[in-house]
Amino acid sequence: MPELSIMLAGFGDALTPINLFFVVCGVALGQFVGAVPGIGPVMAMAIAIPFTFGLDPLAGIGFLVGVNKGGLVGGAIPAVLLNTPGTPDAAATALDGYPLAKQGKPLKATKMALYSSVTGDTFSDIVLITISAPLAVLALRMGPVEVFGLMLLAFAVIAGLMGQSMLKGVIAIALGLLAAMVGTDPEHGTPRLFFDQYELYDGLPLPAVAIGMLAISELLRRLSETKPNVSAAIRLPKNQPKSDAAVSWAEFWACRYTILRGSVIGTILGALPGIGSTAAAFMSYASARSANKDPKSFGKGNLHGIAASESANSSVMGANMIPLLTLGIPGSVGAALIISAFMIHGIQPGPFLFENQGRLIYGLFGAMLIANFSNLMLGQFGLRFWVKVVSAPESFIFSSALLMCFVGVYLASGGLFGIGIMLAFAVLGYVMTSLGIPIVVFIIAFFLGPRLEISLSQTLSLLNGKPEKLLDYPIGLVLMVLAVITAVLLSRRRDKG
Amino acid sequence: MQFTKTIKALAVASAMVLATAAQAEWAPKGPLTIQIGFGAGGSTDTIGRIIAQTMKEQTGWNVIAENKPGGGGVAMFTGIANRPANGTVIGLGVSMPILINLVNRPEKLKFNLDSFDYLGTASRAQLALIARTDAPFDDVPGLVEHAKSNDAPISSDAKPQELAMRFVMAQAGVDFQFLATKGGAENTKLILGGQAIAGFEAGEHLPFLESGEIKMIASMNNTRHNYAPDTPTLQEQGFDIYVDPYFFFATTAGTPDDAKAALTAALAAALEADDVKSVVANTLKTPIINLGPEGTKAMLVDGVGNVATLFAK
Repeated sequence: MPELSIMLAGFGDALTPINLFFVVCGVALGQFVGAVPGIGPVMAMAIAIPFTFGLDPLAGIGFLVGVNKGGLVGGAIPAVLLNTPGTPDAAATALDGYPLAKQGKPLKATKMALYSSVTGDTFSDIVLITISAPLAVLALRMGPVEVFGLMLLAFAVIAGLMGQSMLKGVIAIALGLLAAMVGTDPEHGTPRLFFDQYELYDGLPLPAVAIGMLAISELLRRLSETKPNVSAAIRLPKNQPKSDAAVSWAEFWACRYTILRGSVIGTILGALPGIGSTAAAFMSYASARSANKDPKSFGKGNLHGIAASESANSSVMGANMIPLLTLGIPGSVGAALIISAFMIHGIQPGPFLFENQGRLIYGLFGAMLIANFSNLMLGQFGLRFWVKVVSAPESFIFSSALLMCFVGVYLASGGLFGIGIMLAFAVLGYVMTSLGIPIVVFIIAFFLGPRLEISLSQTLSLLNGKPEKLLDYPIGLVLMVLAVITAVLLSRRRDKG
Repeated sequence: MQFTKTIKALAVASAMVLATAAQAEWAPKGPLTIQIGFGAGGSTDTIGRIIAQTMKEQTGWNVIAENKPGGGGVAMFTGIANRPANGTVIGLGVSMPILINLVNRPEKLKFNLDSFDYLGTASRAQLALIARTDAPFDDVPGLVEHAKSNDAPISSDAKPQELAMRFVMAQAGVDFQFLATKGGAENTKLILGGQAIAGFEAGEHLPFLESGEIKMIASMNNTRHNYAPDTPTLQEQGFDIYVDPYFFFATTAGTPDDAKAALTAALAAALEADDVKSVVANTLKTPIINLGPEGTKAMLVDGVGNVATLFAK
């Protein structure tokens, strides 16, 4: 722990007008790019990094952190308003957010997303600021075997989301894992399923698949259903009672355990590099549903569903900074970009960071808290703005969203090839939805597949052909047993329900 | 301070604009694209973007950085090899993945080393074999001894490093287990967490060397590292193999001489800029090493031989 004077000086730095300016600009930009389907905060950060070189490190990194955090709030907006999440972690928010928006309560749904997101984010930031060092040591203990156990548990929990048909759920998982296998095999470096297309050598580009499946296929479906008469994408009832346009304190407080659970899940998964916000959002959503008295109301506009997903996917962000700052290990692409921003300023995350750069780090913590606050404030205005935007005629909204998706995927996935992949997966998503195969389950399997495979291969290498060595990994064993128990319990409940 | 630095950079930049304008009349027709063979956010991306920005300031050309990920640069270079040779695109790639593909599946590639005109290199990655300080060995022969009576999991994020250690394995007659990972940071995590006994890093381990949590076992390159002049290479420790990845720039073969000269000069000038020097030093922990057009080609031609040994071809 550095001296109090350094901490205070750091927090003071964060409050200087120039830093405040960059953090608030970052949040505004992040909310904007997050809310426009397609481009997303990661791309915005990648483009902004060279420009932060000319800035003071705190202003530059504060700006990037602002973009990242703004993106967490912004990402929920298209998911809720148009059912077109730009990233898979926001897909969990769409499950209940969009039904609520369709009931004429888009403001209520997005506000719930905003409040839960900021709460989850602040929770994990506080964990980061107070106990990051011991948590980092724990994260180091989580080796390949433990991560493999955790991945199995994540799959078991998420299996609870498969919907009524077990068969269709299994088909979705199998297709998702098959898509995840495209590219170079992580163990031996052998190219698989890439049909001599070197663009596929590193696997299917994630943004193209996610946006194609989640956003474009939905936009295509909606465009195909557009009627000749002009109608708004979201209809706001005239003279809406305030209770339908806002989230009351009582409603927020009723979700406190859901939000707390989501924040804890997000923080734990965020502190472990490489698992990510998608698993967190869906694990939180699935556990909120099983803990709820009325699980059948999920998927029909339950505020708990929004709270669970947003608190979890946003708390991953603060927790990602734990391995980043203490060990120099990025937990996600966004975190990797923040590391590059540190590095171009000649600052190496890892040991000594708190000692050598204590003032900068506490300045950064200050900037993170300021970013959360600006998220809340800017969000209040932003949500109204976006709800106004989507009350424009739907033919206009859907075609602009379509254009933004094309631009975003073009930038993020290396040009026209990425667009082709996006369109192929849009068609696949359209077909799967028509057949009742859950695309969300496909996407989860696709995103978690590579980590599952690599941790399995590492586990097998560590065991070196001796299964009894598994006994040396008690935590991993417990997680695997838990995964089996969860799977059995969930399938029994399905039989009953 | 950053601000004065920017002003200084701008001053140098404007001087260079005048200088290059005097040297060469040639300018790209339309924008000059620097294609980066990797996705956004890695060290190659950072270097490519800062060079694009500096080149734009220095030459006044409209220089655009673009990510073309896939196959460690193979997808990007396939595109470049098959474009009109008019000097409007430069590719930035890393030598190892290109060499590996040239050695292992030449018949499948739509290019060979003659498909490009080479412009120069930015630097090379200094690859280290590292272990936790409490590991019961200090060099590769020690690691070999340890592996005779223990499991020896080694974490590796790329094939060439693993193959170099398989070469050691074969020569010494011991067994290592390889933990395939997604990057140097994950290697460090597994080493610090005690799940791997050794692994590879390209610079990000430096703070841990300084803090005494990690020690360096060998340089995997063909020379020692500038920050660790006392740690011998794998070759010096008796295993005749190395991995020496360079960040290099190339354009389509057959580009007119004036265009090639202008691009080479513009790249060399950008690599001399203070901003680029410090970004490369900060991300790769190495100084700028520009081998120039001939040197770059020679490095790649020599590299084919070494990679063929790695893959026992």
